[in-house]
Amino acid sequence: MEQKEIQALVRSVLAEVGAFNGYIIVRAQSRREWSMRLSNGKFERVSTGWDSGLGVQAFTRGGATGLATSDVLEEGVGQKLVEKAIQLARRNEAIGTKQNRQIWEAPQVQAEEANPAQKVFGEIPLVELEEKVMTLHSRLRGVFPEGVWQTSYRQVEEEWCIGRTDGTLVSFVVPRAVLMHQGTVRNQGKAQSALIHRSGKDATVLFEELEDHMLERKATDRAEFARAVCAASQLPSGHYPLIIDYGLAKGLAHEAFGHAVESDHMTESVLGEEGKLRKGLRVARPGVNIIDGPLVGDWAYQPYSANGLPRQTVTIVRDGVLEAGLGDVFSAEEAGMPVSGAGRAESYRHIPLPRMSNIRLLVDRMFPLTPAEHLMDEVKAVRETLLQYGELREGEKNLLLLGYRGGQVNPKTGDFVFQCDGIIDVADPDLPIYQPSIFSGKILSALEAIRGGLGEGCYDAIGTCGKGGQSVPSSGGSHRYLLMDADQQVSLGGERG
Amino acid sequence: MKLVAQLEDLLYQSQRAPKKEELRLSAWRILVHESEAVSLGLKDNSSGSVYTPPSYRQGESGEVFLVWADGTCSQAMVQLSSLNDPGYWLRELEQWRQASYQDPDATHIPSPEPLPLVAVEDRAIQKVIAGADDILFDQVKRWLTDKPSKAKMQGGIQVAWGYRHVRTSTGLAVTYQQSQFMSWFSFDSLIGGGFAKRRLSSPQEQENLWSLTVNQYEGMQKEAPPVGPQTQVIFAPSMTEEMLGQFVLPNFSGDRVIEGQGAFSKENFVEHRTVFHPHFSLSIDPLRPLESGSYLVTPEGVPAQLTVLVRDGQLQTPFLRVKDAVRWGAKPTALPQGTAGLYLKHQAEVPWIEALQGVEDGVLVLSVLGLHTQEAVSGSYSLSAPHSLRILKGQIVGRTDVKLTGNFMADLLASTTKTAHSELHTHPYLMVMTGVQTL
Repeated sequence: MEQKEIQALVRSVLAEVGAFNGYIIVRAQSRREWSMRLSNGKFERVSTGWDSGLGVQAFTRGGATGLATSDVLEEGVGQKLVEKAIQLARRNEAIGTKQNRQIWEAPQVQAEEANPAQKVFGEIPLVELEEKVMTLHSRLRGVFPEGVWQTSYRQVEEEWCIGRTDGTLVSFVVPRAVLMHQGTVRNQGKAQSALIHRSGKDATVLFEELEDHMLERKATDRAEFARAVCAASQLPSGHYPLIIDYGLAKGLAHEAFGHAVESDHMTESVLGEEGKLRKGLRVARPGVNIIDGPLVGDWAYQPYSANGLPRQTVTIVRDGVLEAGLGDVFSAEEAGMPVSGAGRAESYRHIPLPRMSNIRLLVDRMFPLTPAEHLMDEVKAVRETLLQYGELREGEKNLLLLGYRGGQVNPKTGDFVFQCDGIIDVADPDLPIYQPSIFSGKILSALEAIRGGLGEGCYDAIGTCGKGGQSVPSSGGSHRYLLMDADQQVSLGGERG
Repeated sequence: MKLVAQLEDLLYQSQRAPKKEELRLSAWRILVHESEAVSLGLKDNSSGSVYTPPSYRQGESGEVFLVWADGTCSQAMVQLSSLNDPGYWLRELEQWRQASYQDPDATHIPSPEPLPLVAVEDRAIQKVIAGADDILFDQVKRWLTDKPSKAKMQGGIQVAWGYRHVRTSTGLAVTYQQSQFMSWFSFDSLIGGGFAKRRLSSPQEQENLWSLTVNQYEGMQKEAPPVGPQTQVIFAPSMTEEMLGQFVLPNFSGDRVIEGQGAFSKENFVEHRTVFHPHFSLSIDPLRPLESGSYLVTPEGVPAQLTVLVRDGQLQTPFLRVKDAVRWGAKPTALPQGTAGLYLKHQAEVPWIEALQGVEDGVLVLSVLGLHTQEAVSGSYSLSAPHSLRILKGQIVGRTDVKLTGNFMADLLASTTKTAHSELHTHPYLMVMTGVQTL
């Protein structure tokens, strides 16, 4: 569906509301996707698809809500969904649910955002995309034949329209594309895998990769590193000075701090007190800042919330002090923070939840780092920079954690764990490599341990946020590396039995 | 006109009398789901909050797999057209043609075979969808009434019912009804319980799950002595399921084995290499009545059957989709639905109550942080498990926070590893000796 069609659909559903004295939000989404996967020189799958549907969220006058959704966009579906949503909202009211009338306070918004894609969906024919991805995949196999390689490419374009009974009508387009290489390498009877990606808003990522082969270089470097990790020894568990790459820093910022300041979590968050954000709390050293907000062209770009409010950029931590949270229209006030349009949903089928978009962790105390073409050259540059500025902690291991494999946090207790691809001791001039091991601890201690940054900001670490059982694109980063002091509440590793 | 009927018309016509010769099909396969679902959530002790309201969902969508006359193939996700547009399907067909690719191993469409009788539908669920939904609201109300007074409760309950259609150009035309029921709850976001089958849970099952979870929650309220190097680690059934999903399942996927991306090679399977202790067997069983992982036929038209992946510790076969089966030189096997349908069995399994009494020094791990970040191929894990339950002399004595370091493949190979049967779960308690330290 085109933007005009989707707007017309939302208007027609709002016209079905009739004499209902409550409030209605209509969300319509049309999503197109092309994806392909190649393995060992052959296409394993090329898939096309689209998904369109409607979601109607009704609120009784008192503020009880119900949701009805459908992807069967036949005649009369709008009326059916409106009736069903109202019926469920009334049912909800009858059981004494906690009511919420905040949507009545939301400002009316009317906006139509242009598609930010350089190459709109379908501009490059699928067959041409297939050729380009095959070229990149074949080249990679030629450059690093010892690996077993899978390459995948995914291109998505989502059109959204959100309408409300107050006259709000917001529509926007979110384009996304990602090229990924996954390699499995073996050494000394052990296997390790490496996964790297290059993301953007459209097929431009393929053209750029064909030009500069940046992802290919990263893939081969990471595969070499994974091979070394297979034969590496394990670190004794302990508390070490750490250097984490920006992928891990994004994970830390997203999992550890971002979720803890979302307005629907305040009653259970380690950064909340009696349900309110602990504004003014010093959570890090002066000079540490955490910012969340959409960036045009980014993997997680979304200019408006799924409730039809503009998405704002929020400084969560300024100069080490907790300043603001990520508030959606329903819980921001109760959580003691302004509404920042943070409500995002996987699709029209889902209830929007306060979420991050692109979160970045930046420090004022930054040391310049000249980017190197290859991974181990960059690691050497990290060591030299640390030596040059007296930042290498003497007499102990200074461990560089490379690659972000994901993580998890309990926002209530503040416990976190992250996993990396491998570890290098940059205090040792031989740069010995160790097997990955768990990076865990308490989130406030980890934030307090950040003492500096190396290199300029890199914000293209991407992922998928699984909050509430939904899958929503997320992204972020930091300086190329972050420096962290050893802390008794932040540890690395464990010992086998 | 229903989506499946529209697709059948389109693909039959493209096979026999295409609008354009380049759009001629030689074979095809259709999978369509029609479903309705109703759900209700509980957040921070409030049922049906603005984030977890009662919800209704209707869906009708599917996927097609096409083999063109020139031997190339295509696959696509499909949905009913949103507009009354007579040219819609022809344009879709042209786009699918444009997306065609060479994959000769994938072009085989199996001939129809007799289907087993498997119960996958609970009619009571259809009634809930049709409006008799008191059962959902009453359940949530009961949770709130019975919960431990200080606990902050989260939860959810969902029923789904609908039709599954599988059609192939070789003559398979199956439509059957299926249902799903899922409920879960947690206290303070730390301790939880869940139930997921193709039928409603019985009052006794609800009671047993509730009692078990409340007892565990109460066990968490006091601190226990720390673990030591000899402490036995016991994975709760939900943890066993998660560990199997993270470390075992990916390594038994036929495509990964064939492409050399798994822990085992094809030769390992051919030689029946011993990878688990001889007391262990692992199978996929989609024939069990009303289990989540049960079905009549795979999306590719292969009838449900029991498939043994590991017998007496030895590799038998990976699970094989049709394409992988062609490449492997065998018949397609059963397929797991996530970890549902996967069953791990130990010859000396005992009931949990009995096993618990024999634990002198143990820790019961109910959940871990970061399991999804672990390397599936190596099987190695390094995990934190805050809020585990300490067991001393056969009794749960309180809460402890631990860190686990080991290798799940090695755990399943060890003679010291045992299992205990749970009445409430399809997966067992898994009792292992592995690296354990205080967190």
